[in-house]
Amino acid sequence: MSTLENQQSARQMYRNMLRWQVLATLGVALLAGILAGSSASISALLGGTSVIAGAWTAAKIAEKGQSNMQATAALLNLLKAEAVKILLIAIILFVIFKFYHSLVPFALIAGLAAAALFSGAALAKAQTEV
Amino acid sequence: MEALALIQAYTGIGIGLIIGLGAAGACIGIGIMCASFLEGAARQPEMIPALQGKVFLLLGLIDASFIIGVGLAMMFAFANPLLSVVAQ
Repeated sequence: MSTLENQQSARQMYRNMLRWQVLATLGVALLAGILAGSSASISALLGGTSVIAGAWTAAKIAEKGQSNMQATAALLNLLKAEAVKILLIAIILFVIFKFYHSLVPFALIAGLAAAALFSGAALAKAQTEV
Repeated sequence: MEALALIQAYTGIGIGLIIGLGAAGACIGIGIMCASFLEGAARQPEMIPALQGKVFLLLGLIDASFIIGVGLAMMFAFANPLLSVVAQ
C-alpha cells in the first residue's frame, strides 16, 4: 500500500471515529433531554463536545505526521496528539464546570463517557488489514 | 460543620485517587501498546504508516477511562453531590 493510500485510509478512520462520537453524543443528549429536560440535554452535548473537540485536534496533529517512516518519530507525534487531546478536554471541562451554572453533572459525564468510549468503534470499520 | 470538613477532606483524597490511579492505568496500557508498536515496526518497517491510524484509535480507547475519571473528579471538585446531603 502506498503512502498516499495509507494517509487516505487513516483520514477515513479519523473521520469514522468523529462520526461515531457525534452520533453517540447526540443519542445521549436526546435521551437526557427526554429523561431530565433541556439542561441535561445541553450538559450531555457539552460533555460530548469537549471530547469531540479534543479528538478532532488530536486527529489533525496525527494526520500531519502520518508520512513519518521512522517508528520513534511516528510514536512521538501520536503521543503529542494524545497529550494535546487530554489537555484540551481538561481545559474545556474546567470552563464548563466553572461557568455553566445550570449544569446537570451526571448528564455531562454520560455524554463525555459515550463520546470517549465510541471513539474505538471506528476500529471495526478499519479498511486496511494488519 | 465538622461533617462538612470531613466530606471535603475525603472528597479531596478521592479525587487524588481517581486521577492518580486512572493516570497510572492509562500509562501502563499506553506503554504496553507503544512497546508492541515499536516491536512491530522493527520487524516490518513498511507497516508503520498502516499501524499509525490504529495506534491512534487505541490510544483514544485506552485514555477513555482516564478522561472519564477526569470528568468524575471535576464533578466532585465543582459540584460535589455529597455536600448537598449535609446542606439539607
